[in-house]
Parts: sequence; structure tokens; C-alpha cells
Amino acid sequence: MATQVFKLPESLKGDVKYSFCPGCDHGVAVRLIAEVLDELGIRENTILAASIGCSVTAYDFLNVDSLEAPHGRALAEATGIKRARPDKIVFTYQGDGDFASIGLAESMHSALRGENLTAICINNTTYGMTGGQLGPTTLLGQITTTSPTGRNVDYYGYPIKIAEHIALCDGTAFSARVSLDTVANIRKAKQAIKKAFEVQIKGIGFGFVEILSTCPTNWKMSPQKAHERVRNEMMPVFKPGIYKDVTTNEIEMLK
Amino acid sequence: MATECLTNKKILTKGNYAIAQAAIQAGCQCYFGYPITPQSEIGEFMSGKMQELKRGYVSAESELAAINMVIGAVSTGVKAMTSSSSCAVSLMQEALSYATADELPVVLVSVMRGGPGLGNIYPSQGDYFQATKGGGNGDYNLIVLAPSTVQECVDLTYKAFYLAQKYRNPTVLLADGLLGQMMEPVEFYDYPYPEIDTSNWALTGAKNREARIIRSYAPLADDRCVFLEKLFQKYKTIEENEVVYEEINTTDADIILVSFGSTSRNVKTAMKKLRQKGIKAGFFRPVTLYPFPSKKLQELAQKVKKFITVEVNMGQMVNDVRLAVNGVCPVELIHKGVGAPPSADAIVSKIEELL
Repeated sequence: MATQVFKLPESLKGDVKYSFCPGCDHGVAVRLIAEVLDELGIRENTILAASIGCSVTAYDFLNVDSLEAPHGRALAEATGIKRARPDKIVFTYQGDGDFASIGLAESMHSALRGENLTAICINNTTYGMTGGQLGPTTLLGQITTTSPTGRNVDYYGYPIKIAEHIALCDGTAFSARVSLDTVANIRKAKQAIKKAFEVQIKGIGFGFVEILSTCPTNWKMSPQKAHERVRNEMMPVFKPGIYKDVTTNEIEMLK
Repeated sequence: MATECLTNKKILTKGNYAIAQAAIQAGCQCYFGYPITPQSEIGEFMSGKMQELKRGYVSAESELAAINMVIGAVSTGVKAMTSSSSCAVSLMQEALSYATADELPVVLVSVMRGGPGLGNIYPSQGDYFQATKGGGNGDYNLIVLAPSTVQECVDLTYKAFYLAQKYRNPTVLLADGLLGQMMEPVEFYDYPYPEIDTSNWALTGAKNREARIIRSYAPLADDRCVFLEKLFQKYKTIEENEVVYEEINTTDADIILVSFGSTSRNVKTAMKKLRQKGIKAGFFRPVTLYPFPSKKLQELAQKVKKFITVEVNMGQMVNDVRLAVNGVCPVELIHKGVGAPPSADAIVSKIEELL
């Protein structure tokens, strides 16, 4: 008898086409979130605060109630949702520009307040939807449409290491950086996303995952080359790892 | 008399506290705010009261965050608000534009101070344009209610929550530093409006129904045209049903003084003094600044010789009066840039100069 081993998660809408560019990791990230929502059985109780940029289209694919926030304000809106309905599972899906540039205040303060929220941030070192400009995580030396000779410190300063900063906030329960460049890393990414939701469900603070992702279109690379870039250029600067997890140390036992 | 005093339900309170208490009684479930004079008492009052009532309260990191937290809260169908003043309300314009496009019942209490820029903390009516024309992008209107007494701060706070939910449109209570800081006897009463059912649109989790998206993103021009037509059909309904104004002695008036908010109180007195001097003056006060009572002003313009608006700004509402009157008779302006409203006597002598 045939056994079904692979299916569309219930948390993904079945009747839509992905609008992400070929080879973009957004599609993988959205799928992982959907699988996690299914596995935790929380889809019907979950609300997404969407952001601005390529990430905004997540609400077209995820089969959950969604509210679109202005650029950078997703975590403020998520805070409002959660304070109004503490019984709901609330998460954001943002890009690096949304989370760590225009929305840095909202991001840090949500973590500092220990909001019981989950934030997923796609770091692809550029502003994707607007055509590949320099963003807060653009690497030193990286050529973008607004750093035509590469990011130099004199004009642009340094890229931000988001997961480390969020881990420093006392209200953060979980902060990790993951990548989607190999199957093994995709599995690890899913575990991190799950953890970031579990800390919210437990009510022990802010759950955060930074996902190193490709932008083949704006990087002007094939999907394969783009994943090599993630591995060879991004991961040495943005080191994958769990930067904070209160469930595995004494802090959790004291609660 | 004594018995009346003892049974009187009135209490003496500040405008800011009156607004906050009224919001609590209106069923406001969440307050988000950032301090700014002259409205900080609202946030201070809320910080204690909301926690006592186990409702939502956040000392937001900025006004940007505060207004967006309100958007988040009201998207789930509950009543929520923020309060702020002038230069900080400027920071909220983007979110107000989104909230109109998202059709969300945001309530904003805007307690005006002097501008432009940081300005000062004196009372002002310099944000008439900010509230009624908006600083956000695109075609939209906010419902704007302008109290002139502390009692009206209570009445119109109740109404702001009601109208916001009834029309799913952001609503502004436009007070000023004078009303926020002054004390008057007020009476609180139970929320007088019916509760609006939000269950057919609010985000509560996609259980036993399709997932809902509250969004303003509209990639196709034609879709946006359809939405804008629908939005402005709603505004037409609001304009037809929700105009509120106060008028005194307008039927036989040669001149009508038009004024809103705290300034209108001295203007009302000025009108009475002019009558004592034999000048046939009338008084007209828009309570709703949007929808503006244009139709009524049009009617009055047919029989009056002149309108004079009195404002504490460089002349803002006067433009709407002129648009309404449409050249049928002259519309003059008496104004003061910022600060306490001009006294009734000062208004009377300026009017005598104009006649």
C-alpha cells in the first residue's frame, strides 16, 4: 500500500504560485515556517505581521491570518496583536533592511521587553525588491547598486550582526543564525525556527532566527553560485549558531 | 441645593485625565504611548489603570512604534488607542495612511502644541491641517472630532471609539494644550454607543474559515481604483451622516463667527458682547472637523454678510470655510499664531475694525 511521505503543509495555501525569483531562499524559508506551524499544530491560532520588501509576499503563501505592517514596523504591530490577544501565536517575517535598519528600534525593543513573539529575519545582504541596494548587512567589499565600487568603511561603515545583537537583549529567550545552503543546514534551520516558536508558546520571551539567504537576481549569480557565496563569503562573517537559548541553561530552570 | 451637590455626579478633573478615563470606560483594551507635553498625563494615567484592569499597556520606544502597536491591536477587533502631540503626531502620519488603507479603527488623541518643528508647549490649533488634510501619502480622510470643553473631551472620546469602529476608519480626537491641562467639572457615564461586531473582518486566527489578510499593498492600478472608489463612497456616507456643529444666533445674523475647539469659548462670549453692542453676530462651531459642516455653511452664506473665523494658528480652518462659502460672501480671519486663545474683548475690537 502506498504511503504518502511528502505533502503540501496545511499552513501553505495550495492554490498560489510562488512569486519569488528562481533560486531565492525565501521559498524555502516560508516552507519551513509552514511545516513548523503544522507540526506544532498552531496554524489556526497564529497571526503573521508581515513586513515590506520581498518578505511581504509571505502572506500570499502562508495560510494564516496576516496583517501587513509599514516598513520596519512589523514587530510593533506584532506587539499590538499579542498585547490585545495574548492567547494568539504571533510572528513576523522580515528582511534584514526591515528588521535591522529601518526597524532596528522596534526589533531591539521587542526583544528587550521580552515580548512573547517570534521573529524570522531573512539576511540576503541587500535590498531585494528595490533592485539590490546596500543594506545593513551588506558585506565589506560587496558591490551593490548603491555601493558601485564595493562597501567601504569610509562611506558605509560596517554590517550589523543581527543574531548576536538580539542575543544580548535580556528579554530574548532564543536567538540563532542559520543558513539554507545545504540540506543539512535546512534541517537545522527548521529546528531553530521551531525553537523560536516554542519559546513563544512557553511564554518565556522573544524568539529570533536570522536566516542567511540567497538573492540570485540581485547578486547576478546562478542559484548554485549564490549558495556558494552564502557559504564562502557570508558564513565567515555571519557565523551560524545558537547565540542564546534560555531553555538549555539555569535561567530556564529558575522560572 | 446641598442635596444636589452631594448627589451630583460631576468631578473636577483635567482634560487629559478625562480623556484617559473616558477611554477606559469606552472599553479601550490597549494603550500604547510615548511621552510628550502637553498630553503626558494620558499615558501616566493609563500605565496604572490598564495594568490594574489587566488590559494592554506598552511604553513604546517611539511614536512610530506606538501607533503601529495600535494598528496591531485593533486589527484583532479590540478597541485601542494612542495619544500624542503635534511634532510627535507628525511621526504617526505614515501609519495613519496605512490604517485608512487597511480600514482599521485606530483612535488617536492629538493634543496640539505650538509648531512648526519642536515649537513650544503652549496651546495651539496649528495641526488642523495635519489632522484634516493629513501628512500621510495617498487619498484618505481621518474622522476628526474637536472638543471645546473637558466634558466634551469625555463625550467625544466615547464617540471617537464608536465612529472608528463603525466606519473602520482612523479617528482623531483633536484637543489642545489648553483643554489637556485645564480642570473643569465633568460627568462620566456608561459608554453610550452600541458595540460594533468586528468578527467578520478581525484577525483572530484562521480557524474554521479562510485566512484573512489585512493589507494595503495593491500591485495593480485597476484594483486600487476600485478600492479608492469604495473608500470614498464610505467617506460620502460619513459626510452625509456624521456632521456635528453648534450654532447660536445664526438665523438673523449679519456676521457669523466660526471657530473650533478651546478657542471657540471666547468667540462665543465675543458674539454675545457684539449682540449687546447691537451688532447682529452669530456663532458657528464645527465639532466634526472631518466631516466638515460645509453644507450648513453654504446655506448660511446665502443670508449672511460675512464670516469671520477665529483660530490660534496662521489661518487653517478659514480655507475650509472659504471652500464651503465658495465666494458667496467674504470670509475674514482673526488669528493668533500660538498660545492661549485671544480674549473675547480682543476678538470684539478686531471685529469692530473689520466691519
